[in-house]
Amino acid sequence: MDFMSSKSANRIVLGAIVVLAYIFLYVPILHITLASFSRDIVWPYPIRFTWNGYLALMKGSIYHEAFLNSTILGLGTAVISTTLATIAVLSILKYRSRYKPLILFLFLAPLFVADVLLGISTLILNGLFLEIPGNLLSAIFANVVRAFTYAMLIIATQLFRYNWKLDDAAMVFGAGPIRTFFEITLPNIWPALLGAFIVTFILSFNNLDISFYTLGAVPTMPSVAWGSLRFGIKPELYAIAALVNAAVLLCLAVMFVLMRSGTVGFGYKEGRDD
Amino acid sequence: MSGWIVQRWLKLDQNQRFLLLTAPVTLFLILFFVVPLIAILVVSFWRTESYQLIVDWNIDNYIDVLTEPSYRVFLLRSIVTALIVSVTCVALAWPIAYFVIRYGGRYKLLLVLGLAVPFLTGIVLRVIALQGVLGPIGLLNLGLMKIGIEPIQALMYTKTATAVGLIYLYLPFVTTAIYLSLLNFNFRLLDAAKVFGAGNFRAFWEITWPLNWVGTVIGFALTFVPSLASAVTPRFLGGANGTLFGLAMGSQFSATGTWSLGAAMGVVLFFVSGITLFTISRIVNLKRSGFTGVGSRD
Repeated sequence: MDFMSSKSANRIVLGAIVVLAYIFLYVPILHITLASFSRDIVWPYPIRFTWNGYLALMKGSIYHEAFLNSTILGLGTAVISTTLATIAVLSILKYRSRYKPLILFLFLAPLFVADVLLGISTLILNGLFLEIPGNLLSAIFANVVRAFTYAMLIIATQLFRYNWKLDDAAMVFGAGPIRTFFEITLPNIWPALLGAFIVTFILSFNNLDISFYTLGAVPTMPSVAWGSLRFGIKPELYAIAALVNAAVLLCLAVMFVLMRSGTVGFGYKEGRDD
Repeated sequence: MSGWIVQRWLKLDQNQRFLLLTAPVTLFLILFFVVPLIAILVVSFWRTESYQLIVDWNIDNYIDVLTEPSYRVFLLRSIVTALIVSVTCVALAWPIAYFVIRYGGRYKLLLVLGLAVPFLTGIVLRVIALQGVLGPIGLLNLGLMKIGIEPIQALMYTKTATAVGLIYLYLPFVTTAIYLSLLNFNFRLLDAAKVFGAGNFRAFWEITWPLNWVGTVIGFALTFVPSLASAVTPRFLGGANGTLFGLAMGSQFSATGTWSLGAAMGVVLFFVSGITLFTISRIVNLKRSGFTGVGSRD
């Protein structure tokens, strides 16, 4: 997309789009943060400053439990689905088999099934046949089904151009398959795995429909947010959202400082790009 | 170490290795995906009467879904909205991903992660916040009124608002897909093209675009299918005329209690999304997209 004649002009045009996208994505976050400090949360402008939301949060509320549950759900789903997806993509791209079309169809199918159906079907399975109440583990598994296809497609985006002869070369030099994976394949594809991890975490952290039906009364962030819409928005909700954002942005700021001083590379090597 | 495992592994042929590796994944999916879904398929052929599921095998539900005009309208509206949203997402994600890869330098990862951060707030909160900013008395319109311009009505409770909300939700997925695809793209190819006399636009269209086609299609699919089935966003932003198929289907399970109709709608949705994506993927020419081929043997 180097459409402009000079590289710096191109950088400015593209950079403008990126800045606009960032503003577009972050304005609601700003709104939430401002509203969490405001006395009137529904129409917070002009702002009358107060700590009420955060104080109420400290006293302990359902939002603590909801946040914890959502985090466990997100991490569990991300770990399991990324692992399964890595195995799946590697197998599909590396080996020839006459069963491949069928298995590939099975792997891709969850994408086309709506969240609501996944939630309801698991509910039927749990409630009618297994007769277990809503719990976090079955919610994790239901979310993994949805997240698996996402993770698989994202990993495949980078992996389909992978040069498998590198693996062969490693085998020639005597490395077993497992060692080959950890010392050759993994260092080359870790961005894809990280991308899949983040995407699946976000997907399950925010998921309303699947988790709603499989969890029953166990609260998660989306379901308490949904509930608050019916019973009135509490300032604590905004407060915890603002805190989560602040924590993550702090991590990013730390990463930025480390990157700037050159301490950590995260895969970047000086002079490798243009 | 575990020498005998490696020995046994090397004796297997490609077919067996494939089956062995994918076995745990297949088992997991069959247990938690296929079995529950068969239950839903079965339910779609039954009937619900006054909130009770009655085992009465019929295809009335499917006839309802496919012939009733309101469902047709919802379905068409959903398809059009999903297409617009996906195309816009791809159009927006490409410059962003390109900028990050080309000019991001050592901060590439940071820029991409920064785009993903807003998503930890959750869909409900962000939609509320979007209302707060774009709504009739929201930030944007208040600012416009201060300057003396009329507030923009089209930003709330319209199909445009639903589209904006959906773009808002699915942009990071497409960006990640295209980012990963561009990560391994060899930009020296563009220099080679310029040496042979191609202009900027031609270089992009004939080199960058086809070689990253797979990433684009995957990003498109990851946006299109969930947008088609979306229920929360149109509920908040769509207004009275903005009902989408996913919303109608969801209400079958909550409001009206007609599970079998909802199940039938879900099956129809499955096939519609599947057929659309299958058609699109047919356009992809794998060789042209730089596919290094399946398997490590020639």
